[in-house]
Amino acid sequence: MESLIVFALPLVLLGSAFFLVFVPAERKEIFQQVTVGATSACLVGTLLLFIRFPAGAPDYQFVFHAEWVPALGISYQVGVDGIGMTLVLLLALVSTAGAFISFWIKERVKEYMIFYLVLVASLYGVFTALDLFLLYLYYEMSVIPMYPLIGIWGSQNKEYASMKLTIYITTGAVFALAGILTLYGTSGLNTFDLIQLKQALAHGTIDFQLQKWVAPFLLLGFGVIASLWPLHSWSPIGYAAAPSAVSMLHAGVLKKMGPYILIRLLFTLLPEGGPVWFPLIAGLAIVNILYAAFAAIDQKDLKFLIGFSSVSHMGYVLLGILSGNETALSGAVFLMFSHGVMAASAFALVGYVYEQTHTRMVPELGGLAKKLPFISTCFVMTALASAGVPGFSNFISELLIFVGTWNVYRWPVILAVTGILFTAVYLLRAVRKVFFGPLTREWRNLEDPSSLLARFPFALLLGSLLLFGFWPTGLLRIIQPSVALLLARG
Amino acid sequence: MIPDLSLLLPEIAIVAVVALLALVEIGLPDFSRRFGTRLNFAAVGVVALTLFRAIGRSGTAFDGMFVADPFALFFKFIFLASAAFVLWMKGREEGGAEFHLLLWSALLGMFFLVSSGNFILLFISLELMTLSLYVLASYTRRELATIEAGLKYLVLGSLASAFLLYGMSLVYASSGTLSFDDLKIAVQSQRESWLFVAGVLLILSALGFKVASVPFQVWVPDVYQGAPTPVVAFLSVASKSAGFAALLRLFLQVWGPLDSERRTLFSLLASLTLLYGNLGALVQNDLKRLLGYSSIAHAGFLLIALAAGGEDGSASLLYYLIAFAASNLTAFLVVSLLEGEEKSHDLEVYRGLSVRSPLLAAALFLSLLSLAGVPPLAGFFSKFFILLQAARSGLTGIVFLGAVNVAISLYYYLNVVRTLYLEKPGPKGQISVSFSSRVLLYGLMTMIVLVGLWQAPFLHFARAAAGSLF
Repeated sequence: MESLIVFALPLVLLGSAFFLVFVPAERKEIFQQVTVGATSACLVGTLLLFIRFPAGAPDYQFVFHAEWVPALGISYQVGVDGIGMTLVLLLALVSTAGAFISFWIKERVKEYMIFYLVLVASLYGVFTALDLFLLYLYYEMSVIPMYPLIGIWGSQNKEYASMKLTIYITTGAVFALAGILTLYGTSGLNTFDLIQLKQALAHGTIDFQLQKWVAPFLLLGFGVIASLWPLHSWSPIGYAAAPSAVSMLHAGVLKKMGPYILIRLLFTLLPEGGPVWFPLIAGLAIVNILYAAFAAIDQKDLKFLIGFSSVSHMGYVLLGILSGNETALSGAVFLMFSHGVMAASAFALVGYVYEQTHTRMVPELGGLAKKLPFISTCFVMTALASAGVPGFSNFISELLIFVGTWNVYRWPVILAVTGILFTAVYLLRAVRKVFFGPLTREWRNLEDPSSLLARFPFALLLGSLLLFGFWPTGLLRIIQPSVALLLARG
Repeated sequence: MIPDLSLLLPEIAIVAVVALLALVEIGLPDFSRRFGTRLNFAAVGVVALTLFRAIGRSGTAFDGMFVADPFALFFKFIFLASAAFVLWMKGREEGGAEFHLLLWSALLGMFFLVSSGNFILLFISLELMTLSLYVLASYTRRELATIEAGLKYLVLGSLASAFLLYGMSLVYASSGTLSFDDLKIAVQSQRESWLFVAGVLLILSALGFKVASVPFQVWVPDVYQGAPTPVVAFLSVASKSAGFAALLRLFLQVWGPLDSERRTLFSLLASLTLLYGNLGALVQNDLKRLLGYSSIAHAGFLLIALAAGGEDGSASLLYYLIAFAASNLTAFLVVSLLEGEEKSHDLEVYRGLSVRSPLLAAALFLSLLSLAGVPPLAGFFSKFFILLQAARSGLTGIVFLGAVNVAISLYYYLNVVRTLYLEKPGPKGQISVSFSSRVLLYGLMTMIVLVGLWQAPFLHFARAAAGSLF
């Protein structure tokens, strides 16, 4: 039963997208209803899986298996472990909130909703795939809808931004693919089944030198989408150009594919060769944290500010992964969830402000709290969450990363902690300027979301941040056993 | 001994079709004008029946001169399908009895080419095919670009034929035979002489011209841009497939498993072809010319499969051809439909096509993404399959290069997508697409998705065909 839900998640969305192809373009409300309906149905399914997920089970649960191309060792195999479950939950929350935010799209609604559904479907595919081929297929499939989504419905510099983003991420992906294929071709394993690969490789059957030389392909290839410095430059510009719901999905979820796949592959396929490179990449992650935080301080455009902030936070996630330590890795997975929800909330709020004022420039705004009490409250909460204030799940996850990494790298942790100071500086400065101080004349006529429905997406995201901030065990009970199993050798 | 003529039934059927069409055109010109297209489709049906009958039968005729095996049959299906497609594309235009006749004779050449068991038949069939294609390439004589295209194709093609003849004679001089079977034995028993190697290289150049491999690719962009669109579609799919069929037959079957020198040579050709095609396509602003460069790049990908070699490598090549045929024919169908409307194939006329005709834009979108290798479309799995085989053969550098080229090619394909979806349309209004074109477009789009997702039957077909080579 549960395995069928896992199997159905992407297919429900793809099916809805296919259905929408045949609906006439004038019926806007149908597109909105179907999109919200499909993503909500997936959220319900995901919550069901989350509740039924056995606590303390380290292995893949709810596995669905069907033969696909047996001659090449390819199968359609999906399922989740604690790590995958966490990310599926993140995706379900963000994509549902994003579907509501997508109501703001007024032009070419049909095409938008179709691309949106395909994007969300492929993300579900990535986080549930247990076959390397399937994983890669969904991964590539998620990149392409971004191009029209940003290119058509985006703002400022959208054509350049969408092309840059697509080419960067695809180049990273094909880099990684070359590495994966080399591994497949030379190791003689003849299967893409991740469960089988894990069993076969438990005894270190892949040559150390091969592991060592394939590792950078994966680290850099998937590092691109995790916005690893210096391959991050597509990210702030892409988010700034994208429509709100797409920024939410991209910063919140899409970016997490990089670290997620690295966790899946590095510790399974390259347990000896991967760690050789960890200190080097950890150094880059530190640059991520500090450089992007520093860059964020100077940004005038709110979306750029949050974009750089998300680049900076990905540094913490990468640092946690590269420490190879159980506590830090659990923290990294938890932070992927927390930061994903936080970033989505931030982009939704900035999007709301932009919808009302048609500007995102910090100096032009001021005193909006008087007219937009709900939005400002949410934004302050999001900023506090981002700065790692206790009570939000971001605090616990960052703490876990620091504590876990401290045993492995000392100096990087000290540097990373200072990054949090920067975060507080740029976010609080922006909050003060935009929401407090005197209200300028031109913003007299702004409207706060008043209906429950309009407030729902924001409440959904912030509510889950608070929920897991006070009840971290809810996620950690399923993350930790899987991480422990991942790191256990032989 | 009387040769087993039933093996030649498809070829005999085509000869009969050519004769019948010529007679009808001479004797009943009115009938030909009115029912010519229908007659042609009936003929396609008949030839298709003979091909279905040939499934599962193999053998040789005329002392090994003619070979009927699953490998040849696989290609005959591709040729016939693309010929039928071209007939359909052409069908909407006026006139064309000569066009049909020439198309059928090119098809006959291709059928014999893939069934050749002897250099003499190989040469004759190749010439029959190419001569027909020369004329077809300059079929619409009124346009200067078309004449230029035909002439360029003719001059360079004749040079390639001369290479082929010279190469054949050198191979004959060193081994004393023109039959593939004897040659296979001779290659295994003797040491390679420089005369033989020179002959092989010359033959490779001639076939390199057919498949548009560097350094014999210069004709491609001009011919693609200038020749009538249906002919270009036929050239890009059928003629390229025929070239690869001959390459596979000679270099993997007759001359045995790849040694390291041949593998290096093919890898080098593949790399250069890929880079030339993809880098050249980056700056094009005529869609047909762009597709010309892209077809060079695809030849590069197919050459990777050749360098991988072996049964699986050949199977990946055949699979790629199916995916390429479906995607490329879709792209050319859209080009031809829009050409009928706008009399141009400049990228300019594609601006905002998604508003003017969502169906045409969607079809072009899917076919270009499939050519770029985006999942879950046909092009993705076929590229994946080829790179996988290359990785298995230890061609790590080529795997890397091929992967990077996917990213490069995505840039120019997305540029077209940008024109289709992101730019505002000009003053011209909606484009109406006829019912039959709609059906065909939906069919092709389904095919593109199907080949990408439900690989098993196509893979089985490709593997069975490749298996019969070894």
